[in-house]
Amino acid sequence: MRYIWTLAAKDLLQTRRDRMAALFTFILPTAFTVFFGLLMGGLSSGSERIPLAVADGDGGVAARKLVSLLESSPLVELKMIDAAAVDKAVDDEQVAAGLLIPAGFSASLDSDVGARLTVVRVLGSTGSQSVEEAVRAAADRLASERLAAAVAVRTVEDSPRAAQVGEIVSGLLERPALTIAAKESGSKAGQIPRGFDQSSPGMLVNWVMFSLLTVATGLVMERKTGALRRLLGTHASRSQVIAGKALAMLILTMLQQVLLIGLGQFAFGVDYLSDPPALLMTMVTLSALASCLGLLIATVFRSEQAVIATTVIASMVLSALGGAWFPLEVTGPGFSRIAHLVPTSWLLDALRGIVLKGWGVPEVLLPLGVVWAFSLAFFALAVWRFRFE
Amino acid sequence: MRFVEVRRLHKQFDPPKGTVAVDDLSFGIEQGEIYSLLGPNGAGKTTTISILSCLLRPTGGEATVAGASITGDPAAVKRALGVVPQELALYPDLTARENLAFWGKMYGLRGQQLDTRVDEVLALIDLSDRQKDRLESFSGGMKRRVNIGAALLHKPRVLFLDEPTVGIDPQSRRAILDGIKDLNRAGTTILYTTHYMEEAQELSNRIAIMDHGKMIAEGTHEELVRSVGEEATVTLSVDRDLDRSLAIWCSVEGVTSAEAQDDRARLLVGDANAVVPRLFETANREGIRITGVNVAEPNLETVFLALTGRALRD
Repeated sequence: MRYIWTLAAKDLLQTRRDRMAALFTFILPTAFTVFFGLLMGGLSSGSERIPLAVADGDGGVAARKLVSLLESSPLVELKMIDAAAVDKAVDDEQVAAGLLIPAGFSASLDSDVGARLTVVRVLGSTGSQSVEEAVRAAADRLASERLAAAVAVRTVEDSPRAAQVGEIVSGLLERPALTIAAKESGSKAGQIPRGFDQSSPGMLVNWVMFSLLTVATGLVMERKTGALRRLLGTHASRSQVIAGKALAMLILTMLQQVLLIGLGQFAFGVDYLSDPPALLMTMVTLSALASCLGLLIATVFRSEQAVIATTVIASMVLSALGGAWFPLEVTGPGFSRIAHLVPTSWLLDALRGIVLKGWGVPEVLLPLGVVWAFSLAFFALAVWRFRFE
Repeated sequence: MRFVEVRRLHKQFDPPKGTVAVDDLSFGIEQGEIYSLLGPNGAGKTTTISILSCLLRPTGGEATVAGASITGDPAAVKRALGVVPQELALYPDLTARENLAFWGKMYGLRGQQLDTRVDEVLALIDLSDRQKDRLESFSGGMKRRVNIGAALLHKPRVLFLDEPTVGIDPQSRRAILDGIKDLNRAGTTILYTTHYMEEAQELSNRIAIMDHGKMIAEGTHEELVRSVGEEATVTLSVDRDLDRSLAIWCSVEGVTSAEAQDDRARLLVGDANAVVPRLFETANREGIRITGVNVAEPNLETVFLALTGRALRD
């Protein structure tokens, strides 16, 4: 083991001294994560709710109840502002829509006149359309509650429990007789990754795959200078030399992942840490994939130029097909099927499952198993065809 | 048994139709000896070293190094052996010390033993003051010295050097040759390959001349020269009457043959120091003006030419 570690430590020292390696390993991945993250919606990825400005000019019981219903909606995020500022907030696109609750709203709701709400929204905007739907749903719920209570009160007007009717109706509506359950299916859970939820895992896979360039060119250079051959004259065996190379790559890409995942988690609010064991398994799997593919490319191709060209093409194709640049959810089923012929798409399934759906170890086993099958095939081919000179 | 024993070694790449790089090669090296394999590029020198270093498997024959079989016990062979490859098999982005420490670790050294040995080798290759500089800033000769140093860390009993002076300046070459002599004086057995006959002549106790994978002659420098005759070649240019000059010089004492070659007289003589003054005296007496003279003592080049019909550097 000590020879393996000596080799790996030497490779890591060389990488640390290589400014280009630092650029490709840490600086460019961070820049691309930020760029693609902002391009795809930026920090909004942390909350999928659509902002709704609410101006409560009433402040009564029914108005507060309406606000409370909207707050519990998974669709909107409330921003309480003054009525005078609603139009400007919508015009400036600070919010998708605005809701004006007029003075006397609560009183009107119980009267025969009826109450009126105003939604200020941008015409043609699907986001504000959704907000309007959410407001309608909350208003309908409030109106139903009030209506049921009014009917009940009038029916049992003389009963001693008449005063409790409103509370009873409210309680019953909390436990409705009919509910609709939405079930998530596979990675197409209806939630298309946006912002940093898309860019952070995507760029992670993209640049870790690109890092295989480091190991592949390093190996080719060592073969070219005769150092690889010289290693065989030392006390290390052939398999120890190959293992040392693979270990260096594994450590390098794990460090790269720790940095990029840390950045995603703490700077961009991507929820990587929902299940740390599943995340660790995914990280090791990604590193193993890059190491094995790097070994294979360095084995098959002998010149530095050929290795660089192949690595760039391979990492770009694997990243693009795998869904690192754009979510596979926006592509058709045909593309998605083709994408799942490459290991990176399975890896991104696991990563996005952890980030978006809180997947744990049982859920990531299948996609990671597929990636390991690819990695072992690459490794076996590399060892079989490996040449020291 | 000799310290390095090679018996009927054979190596063919991609048999049965591939190139035969080493063909029925046999030789032995005594402990403490410097033994050189001399031959042109493609003679099979590097392949021989690769086989003896356990980097290539022979397709026939057997060899032992320090009593261990290269096929039966390669680990023991590697423990006894240091190999200096022809290439600069080093890491330019590491310092001289880091390079040596890395190779030392790969030879099993650790801790204080490693530090001490790296210090010793740095002193031996005269690079202690540059130990913290990266190799990429070194001259070709300094890199060659580190290349040799990397093979000395585990104190090998036998050292294989494969053309270690290729592409360096005369001063660095001198330093390397002197260093090899020092190592040998300290007890290291050395197998040296080169296509520079001067190096083989200066360093070696015995020399094997190789061509096309075969050994075509073996012995001390003197034995090899003697084997093809001991005559020196004197080449003379004259201003006129070349044929008459040849006829006159043919009869001078010590001249065994004389012939015209490229408008010059080419004479084979037994002792050039004694014969050349006589040639001048005769020319003066006959009114022949000598405009140029060249004396070539017999050497390994002559031997190679005599054995193969080609110059060593062809």
